[in-house]
Amino acid sequence: MEVVGEEKKTSLYDEHIKLGAKMVPFGGWNMPVQYEGIIKEHNATREFAGLFDVSHMGEVYIKGIESLEFLQSIVPQDISTLNEGCAVYCQLPNKDGGLIDDLIIYNVKNLEIDADYFIVINASRIEVDIPFMIEEAKKFDVEVINKSDDFSMLALQGPNAKYIIDKLNVKLDEKPKFFTIKKTELDDVPVLLTRTGYTGEDGFEIVFENKYAAKLWNKILSYKSEYGVVPVGLGARDTLRLEAGLPLYGHELNEKTTPLESSLGFFIPKDKKEEYNGKKLIMAQKLKQEPLRRKLFAFIMEDRQIARNGYEVFVEGIKAGYVTSGAPSPTLGKNIGFCMIEFENLPSDLVTRLNNPQESLGMIIQIMVRNKLCNAKLTKKPFVKKNYEK
Amino acid sequence: MNIPEGILCSKTHEWVLEENGEVLVGLTDWAVEQLGDVVFIELPEAASSFSKDEVFATIESVKAASEIYMPVAGEILEVNEQLINSPELINEDPYSAWLVKVKPSNYQEDAASLMEYDDYKDEVQ
Repeated sequence: MEVVGEEKKTSLYDEHIKLGAKMVPFGGWNMPVQYEGIIKEHNATREFAGLFDVSHMGEVYIKGIESLEFLQSIVPQDISTLNEGCAVYCQLPNKDGGLIDDLIIYNVKNLEIDADYFIVINASRIEVDIPFMIEEAKKFDVEVINKSDDFSMLALQGPNAKYIIDKLNVKLDEKPKFFTIKKTELDDVPVLLTRTGYTGEDGFEIVFENKYAAKLWNKILSYKSEYGVVPVGLGARDTLRLEAGLPLYGHELNEKTTPLESSLGFFIPKDKKEEYNGKKLIMAQKLKQEPLRRKLFAFIMEDRQIARNGYEVFVEGIKAGYVTSGAPSPTLGKNIGFCMIEFENLPSDLVTRLNNPQESLGMIIQIMVRNKLCNAKLTKKPFVKKNYEK
Repeated sequence: MNIPEGILCSKTHEWVLEENGEVLVGLTDWAVEQLGDVVFIELPEAASSFSKDEVFATIESVKAASEIYMPVAGEILEVNEQLINSPELINEDPYSAWLVKVKPSNYQEDAASLMEYDDYKDEVQ
């Protein structure tokens, strides 16, 4: 990592420039938004394989005899059931149940690294998450170690990802299965290899020391003619995750919105005994004892316009929220997005209908696009079926 | 890519080509390169009029929407209907994919504030 002006550079900055990437600021980093074109990169990932520099993401080691108790107190998920070598998608609530971040926690007790748990957090939230976790950790015999500057991270995603991993002299009898992690070497580079990603495709994330970044990046891209792998920028990363119905912090998730309100209820266990930040409201909403104040919906535009982040949303003529993400879907050939509908100003019968998927799915709402109300239909997520190999 | 002889460019990245009192308006290759994949374009109605530097169209790439400004005042004679269903033609050749044909109302004066292509290229690079 190197600080230049306001933005940091990943260890792959020079490689991005060599490939002719268009660079943009993102979450405090100077990152490639596209190389050859967003649609081409998007489609290559769905059909063959895409390689993403995700070194901007934050990595955290959790270590100490009360590691488990600490994690139990900061996420709604039950970490006691997380087996060694396995991963779980989690949220980091504040005391009011709003989200400070979303993250993936890996149990790495079996991996002979200097941690009990390994956490991957959003780049834009490193400076918020780390002090928060350190403060929370004071109640426990545990260490929170920010490893974000030590590691680079690549995501290799798409149906051909597994064949490329096989080519890299991987020293494993078996590659990690979906949502698990292994410690190994790829072409003699020591790595943590996980079967995770942010595209809805089968694929891997690879964490390793910065000094190996260019070597591993170029080695994987050398399989372009054999396996169709291309470098992919943040532009296609966004359309891929949106099609897969995956939320992005700062858009679908924020400090005022609970996991239930962000449509992440599926990930919240009902029966976790331990206390955690925000549990009171999160559980009351999960058990339907407390109403949702707002709710995230997926939509497909009926009109040809594209709804963008921040555009106003109207339900039965009442201004009731805003678009959180919106883009053309290269896979569907339609314009898709997420919107947050605020229940505060809506009549109670309309809120009841919105809360009932049988009534809300298919409902037509309006989105204001350049002073014109355009129709959109509420729909199920994901927009494009996930292609995970489980 | 074929740069038509005699085009003039604006600071906001539109090009114009005048012929027999009518003007074709499009987006420069530099602007299109910055946009990336064009996925949607909203064009004005024929017979509507715009003053110089007024927004007359919106172009959307995968990432964002951008406004397009009228480089010369006038009335829209024709819009390039082909682009409505095939906006990617703008990426393929920004100089054959003109957006609108305009009957200019004050061409000489408006054109005086535009640049020749080579000067425009120097400005953006």
